[in-house]
Amino acid sequence: MLKMNKISCVYQTDLIETHALRDIDLNVKAGEFVALTGPSGSGKTTLLNLSGLLESATSGTYLLDGEDVSSLSDRQRSSIRNEKIGFIFQSFNLIPDLNLFDNVDVPLRYRAMGIEERRRRIENALELVGLSSRMKHLPSQLSGGQQQRVAIARALAGEPKFLLADEPTGNLDSLMARQVMELLEKINSEGTTIVMVTHDPELARRAHRSIELLDGQISSTQLFGVSAEEPDEKTEAESVA
Amino acid sequence: MEIRPILSAILRNKTGAILLAIQIALTLAVVVNAMFIVQQRLKFIGRPTGIDIENIIVISSQGFGSSYDHEQTVFSDLELLRAIPGVKYAAHISRFPLSGGGSRSGFTSTTDSDAESVGANYYFAQNGTIDALGVKLAAGRDFLPTEILTGEQIDNGVVASSVLITKALAEKLFPDGNALGNLVYGGTGDSSRVVGIIEKMHGAWVSWDGLNQVLIFPGLRKDSGQRYLVRTEPGQRDRLIPEVESVLEKASVSRYLDRMEPMSEMVGRSYDNDRVVANGLIIVIVLLVSITGLGIVGLASFLVRQRTKQVGTRRALGAQKYHIVRYFLVENWLITTMGVVVGTVMAFGLNYWTATEFSLPKLDPVFVPVGILGIWVLGVLAAAGPAKRASNISPAIATRTV
Repeated sequence: MLKMNKISCVYQTDLIETHALRDIDLNVKAGEFVALTGPSGSGKTTLLNLSGLLESATSGTYLLDGEDVSSLSDRQRSSIRNEKIGFIFQSFNLIPDLNLFDNVDVPLRYRAMGIEERRRRIENALELVGLSSRMKHLPSQLSGGQQQRVAIARALAGEPKFLLADEPTGNLDSLMARQVMELLEKINSEGTTIVMVTHDPELARRAHRSIELLDGQISSTQLFGVSAEEPDEKTEAESVA
Repeated sequence: MEIRPILSAILRNKTGAILLAIQIALTLAVVVNAMFIVQQRLKFIGRPTGIDIENIIVISSQGFGSSYDHEQTVFSDLELLRAIPGVKYAAHISRFPLSGGGSRSGFTSTTDSDAESVGANYYFAQNGTIDALGVKLAAGRDFLPTEILTGEQIDNGVVASSVLITKALAEKLFPDGNALGNLVYGGTGDSSRVVGIIEKMHGAWVSWDGLNQVLIFPGLRKDSGQRYLVRTEPGQRDRLIPEVESVLEKASVSRYLDRMEPMSEMVGRSYDNDRVVANGLIIVIVLLVSITGLGIVGLASFLVRQRTKQVGTRRALGAQKYHIVRYFLVENWLITTMGVVVGTVMAFGLNYWTATEFSLPKLDPVFVPVGILGIWVLGVLAAAGPAKRASNISPAIATRTV
């Protein structure tokens, strides 16, 4: 599903050069649930951004769903984000002026998709996260956990091949965090590949594999469960703890 | 297109949008009416006069001393002026048309004392004066030299046997179209026969509704001053002014020149008030449009800054750059259109008020769509910059927590 080879990311200013990622090799198989962990500034979010084509690597190659996406145009990257990737953000990133229906509709509007098909997908997605009765509510009328479920519904409505979750439970209390995590596990069990950034070791252990980053490099990998397909053992073997 | 969600977003944060829509409405109402008034004034200023204003030099001088002889001075001056290369025609006239000064009286086409007279400007001039003015004869002929009355004859009450009148006056006096050859009667019952009809010629006062009603009598009234019209070859006017001045100053006559200028300058002064009004309104239009444009830029920039993360999220979820540009342009267009709807009503209301209070003409409705189109274009241009900036927001903003 996702294959990175010697990926580096360097942020440059006039005075400073910051190596956010150094020669990362990463292989995520279809159906896998991977947790990215590590201290602040270790490069987790940068790796997530590169995976989701939100920014570009300085060097290295990146194959997503078998396609080399290392040097695509902005337009092509946007299309791939829209059609193949679902995003879940720590702060939910719902649009406060839109009701739940319209929030879930946002990525679908960027596709050439009829209103009926969009409506079906939105209703299914909100049904899946248990919020179909609140479609006309605004995000401000929901709890944090409910808002994150709407964000998950928004990610799922596009029927992405893989989900990128950036600290999806970071702003939630433990009960809501557990509910969201259970939802992600359910989604993964139905075949969607998930890469999740988390600080929480408990949550990381619920993934199939946890990759720890330190100073922009993979410092260790732990296997916790069986994924739909086995990860590429050669790529990860050297760094397994 | 996402008009419904955008409209919904506008209505949930309506203060800024309403204020801008009110500003747009006021701008449209004022600009439409101002444009209409400016157009009316410019049309008024630019009316065809029938006179070859651009190629005429107007000269006036005052004689003094006991040796001064008016008629002799006029004849010798005209001879000198006509001899200057580049001068096509030179003639004397009692007052300059379009100067703001002249003589007016009531005229009729009948001896019936109860007949309603028609007001008209009248001038005394010689044969050839119509050539010096550059006016065209629609029918008839110019004066014959024998028809020109001397100053003494005029003083002794001799009535001119012939008269030239403008077509506009002819149509008022002789609605049946038989002016040529008929008699025109003055206030004292004296009559002159119409020998020629001038196609078009403006009289003295630009604001007078009888401006097109003019008579020219053949004569050279006794006067201490002279008024000459010197019509030059096209493009020669400015070059000839110093030469004309020099020639007249060298003539050994007891008089001084008190006016020597292009006729266009003199006419321009007659329209000074109208020009001031038009220019003032143009400044108001430019200021209002600029302020409204800045208001649109301001609100659009504020909304872009306020929604940086939202835009980043949209980009992360797959929006192309043009989707973002379109979003902000559509949002701006909706706000502008709200202002335009209210502004259209206000434009007609304002015109009704100015028409009833200041007797201004009724607004030509074509100015409203022109104004609306202008405001829409202004809105797009003003919002384009902020919209473009928004489209350049990185999708990576979506994952930033601060």
